Amino acid sequence: MAKTNHLLIVADAGPLIHLDELSALDVLSDYAAVLVPNAVWLEVHQHRPQALLKINVKLIRQTTPLVSDKVKALSVLYTLHHGEREALELCLTHSVNLLITDDTAARLAAKSMNIATHGTLGLLIRSVRQQLRHPSEVLALLAAIPEQTTLHIRPSLLNEVIAQVAEEWKSKF
Amino acid sequence: MNNTLNAEIPNQLWQQAQTLVQQGWASNLQEVVNEALRRYLESHQDVLTESYIQDDVKWGLHGED
Repeated sequence: MAKTNHLLIVADAGPLIHLDELSALDVLSDYAAVLVPNAVWLEVHQHRPQALLKINVKLIRQTTPLVSDKVKALSVLYTLHHGEREALELCLTHSVNLLITDDTAARLAAKSMNIATHGTLGLLIRSVRQQLRHPSEVLALLAAIPEQTTLHIRPSLLNEVIAQVAEEWKSKF
Repeated sequence: MNNTLNAEIPNQLWQQAQTLVQQGWASNLQEVVNEALRRYLESHQDVLTESYIQDDVKWGLHGED
């Protein structure tokens, strides 16, 4: 199995909640640790407490950081929530270059700080590349997003994504 | 044309919006709601969201990390 143990990532609430809704938080299991800002931890605890109890994913709760002027300014510009604000600050203070989030505004703000972002769909698809999940499983999970999760995606776009990845993986079946 | 919106708002947000109005940072609650909605829509345009999803698919399939 390909391992990326050296990688630390920071998580926003969306992917933790959405992946757990799909019983697929294990797609994060090859990361050395997933840093969870305190505000994000509280948000996930409120909406999906069981997501924080998975033993195969190393979720590490972080204390609330002092938010820098730069992140404060971006938060106003992009109307970010506390969790997104803390997540960006953690990326800065821990030199982490990957934030997982499903929020467009958070992704825009991160981009302006040269922080890479990926969301639930990317993480699910990546799990095949990392040999954590079989293509057929991930195709089923993608198809289950509208029914099983609170992640909202235009149905025709989701169908296009499913068709695209199925075409890429057809040799793997 | 203006439209009417009925929505339940968490108490904390409601209190914060009221405070803004009472302190004179906004003339009324409608202004607060309009401004919040406008800013949200600006930063959540569907074309942006879709482009991020396409980036995710590309990264998921062919990324190196």
